[in-house]
Amino acid sequence: MEDNSISPTEQNNVLEMRGITKLYAGTVALENVSFTVVGGEVHGLIGKNGAGKSTLVGILSGIIPPSRGTIHLNGNTYHHLTPITAKKEHVAIITQEPQVVEESTVAENLFMPRYIDSRSLVKWRKIDQEAKELLKRTGFEIHTDRKVRELTVSERQILLVVKACYVEDARIIIMDEVSASLNQKDQLVLYRIIQDQVDSGKTVIFISHHTEELLNVCDRVTVLRNGHSVGSAKVQDLDKKKLAALIVGDEAYEASVAEEKSALIENESILELRDYTRYGKFEKIDLCIKKGEVVGLAGLRGSGRTELFKCLVGLDQPDQGEVLLDGKAFTVKSPDEAMKSGMVYLAEEREAEGLVSISSIKRNITVNILPEVSRNGVILSRLENSRADRLVKVMDIVAASRDQLISQLSGGNKQKVLVGKIMAGRPRVSLLDEPTRGVDIEAKQSILKTINDEMRKDSCVLITSPGVDDLIKICDRILILYRGRLIDTFNREEFDEEVIYRAIQGEVIHEETVREEIIFNEGGQSNATCY
Amino acid sequence: MRRVTKIQLFILENLVWVLVILFFLFNAIATESFFTFKNQVNIIFQSSLMGMLVLAQGIVMMVGELDLSIDAILAFAPAMTILFVTTVMPLNPFVAILMTLLLGVLVGFINGFFVARMKSNSFLLTLSTQIVMRGIILFLIPFSIAGLDPAYTYVGRGRLFGEIPVAAVAFILIFLGFEFLFNKTIFGRKFLLTGGNRRASYISGINTNRVIIYAFIIAGLLAAVAGLIATGRQNAVSNGMGSGMVMMAFAGAILGGSSFNGGVGKPIGMLGGALLLGMIDNALTLRGVNVNLVYATKGGLIFLAIMLDRAKDQINDHIMYKENIRRLTSTEDGLEKAS
Repeated sequence: MEDNSISPTEQNNVLEMRGITKLYAGTVALENVSFTVVGGEVHGLIGKNGAGKSTLVGILSGIIPPSRGTIHLNGNTYHHLTPITAKKEHVAIITQEPQVVEESTVAENLFMPRYIDSRSLVKWRKIDQEAKELLKRTGFEIHTDRKVRELTVSERQILLVVKACYVEDARIIIMDEVSASLNQKDQLVLYRIIQDQVDSGKTVIFISHHTEELLNVCDRVTVLRNGHSVGSAKVQDLDKKKLAALIVGDEAYEASVAEEKSALIENESILELRDYTRYGKFEKIDLCIKKGEVVGLAGLRGSGRTELFKCLVGLDQPDQGEVLLDGKAFTVKSPDEAMKSGMVYLAEEREAEGLVSISSIKRNITVNILPEVSRNGVILSRLENSRADRLVKVMDIVAASRDQLISQLSGGNKQKVLVGKIMAGRPRVSLLDEPTRGVDIEAKQSILKTINDEMRKDSCVLITSPGVDDLIKICDRILILYRGRLIDTFNREEFDEEVIYRAIQGEVIHEETVREEIIFNEGGQSNATCY
Repeated sequence: MRRVTKIQLFILENLVWVLVILFFLFNAIATESFFTFKNQVNIIFQSSLMGMLVLAQGIVMMVGELDLSIDAILAFAPAMTILFVTTVMPLNPFVAILMTLLLGVLVGFINGFFVARMKSNSFLLTLSTQIVMRGIILFLIPFSIAGLDPAYTYVGRGRLFGEIPVAAVAFILIFLGFEFLFNKTIFGRKFLLTGGNRRASYISGINTNRVIIYAFIIAGLLAAVAGLIATGRQNAVSNGMGSGMVMMAFAGAILGGSSFNGGVGKPIGMLGGALLLGMIDNALTLRGVNVNLVYATKGGLIFLAIMLDRAKDQINDHIMYKENIRRLTSTEDGLEKAS
């Protein structure tokens, strides 16, 4: 399935990237990737996490300089772009994290930084008027004088889409997983805007993890796998199954399921939540996790996974409910208290909340075991070094030495350091929020293996993941979190990626069991509520 | 890692000492009466006062904050103590020393508490405490108070074996003590982690607020020690003591490898920074250079330090990148990847 399936005329290619290679110190992010986009199409870009999608569009938007390769844009040739040249060539990117000025209004954000002026005086009324018209036209109903600070992520995302498409006059619009954080209503708005762009002859590059969405929205799809381009095809020639096969490659899926370790599970519950609630985030969470168990928490972005974890370690406070750790009531006000009781949280944002990037691998990885490698508060260097070396080896971290700075590592290796740090402390409960996000396949395998083999020993693990496939590999149970509530549970023998995927979208799979349990629960049996 | 890489990294880490040694060698040859035992001791003695402030500032910078009030604490702590002793009730000189140090700790705690707990901006907050303290002593001590107890001024004036100043010895010992603290203890390790990424450290279970408060307390304490040295040296307290020294303290800390972003800094580097400043003062004065020109030279030196600091990061990245490529290409698997 190469490009020969379609033969666009040369003049029609608004964008051609040829032989793009991007090397990072530790890994090859892209290798000799070619990527062609025809004017006036919606071009989908798909691949697993770490396949190189974000790197590719980062290069295209001038944020990341490529190591090799050329970019042909509107007839001009570049070896690398800067954000300014990209803008001149009418390329705009909308990323997953919306970049807005929170303290300004919707209208101001739309027209910033050029505004509408007459002789350098900003014409506020005109800006407001135009913003209103624009929003009305796109069907995105929101007051133009609201502060952006008050908007939801979904609304901010749409706001930036509107800005890129209508205000900045971009002709190639890159949407990097924009739809992931949109609610259903805003998704429709997005699709309408995309259609409008195509009608007026513009080009959209659309990145998404959802195959179905991609097939509905796009004209053509390019698949990336492990930094290589697998090829492009028209959507008419594809279906969900074919596309999934291209994304995953030849890897036999069954073979990658981790060794089953359910023998390690003991009938002793470590963590128990009862009626655990933080209003607006999650409600009435009941669950118990046994010793040696790895439990997956599957849910869409915004379903309350991260919020639940943050409450458990004391970063936020719950409104009601109780937590039992080893049968004893557990309340904490801050992470250091949680840590003392053995509850450790691996943050989703590894740069911002996980690692100290200007410090060395050693100093990061031994944070949780400092008391073990010291006497009377004095660190025993030799002991610390050997522990650090062992962790680097166990986690298979690729680095020049234990003293290398975190900032010089690739994403996958950073994540390995983070997991190694959590593991080293031998926590009683590990709360792992997306430990495999944005890492390459090898790193993912070694992280999953560590969790499966090491972290569950004498303790328990609660884990979330950007993809259901990772959870299926190592979990003993998967709980479905939907809009802040646990709505379903799957045991290992009934794991099926597609079914679970449907479940996290809110579909009820085990209708009878759910009902039964509720009745059972009302009968007063507390065990039945324990997912 | 190859030995060459290790040496390169070591030199890069201790760039300030390379400067100190070069400057020392140059002056030992070119400047008359620089390379004498007496003059060398003198340099250390002269540097001790600024050294305490450099260390204080460097430690606060480690946790990602800054402290403008240290030069005011330098005057405030001994001045209030002496005022208390002369007007309220006489104290045993050792109790007076303790009181001076406690005053430094107290002001440091107030600074730290508001910065950590109330999330105030440390620049603004310490600016306010600096002005308050300076204002109070200007009001209370219009004239110097001289003729102090020799025990109280021992740290600043005293000599061991008749020739080695106590201050010089204390200065070196304090730096070595802090080098140990930040290199070898859990307590010290938390400072750099907190400064490097406060949020991540907090989530990792470090009580970051407490660390920040401790940083300010240590800074206050060191500033009070500097106050004792200054008081001893002039055998009096006056309201202008230490005025303006805080800016040079920043200079010394930055020369020594500290950064306003926090998360870096070593006492041994700060020692180098303080000594370099002291040596420049000394050597240029010996050569008869005008005081104001010496001042300008220090400014140029700070500029150089800032440039070096930026270059240092890039050179470090480059060295590690080379090292990694070498590693990758040395194994067969890596060869495939790198080609």
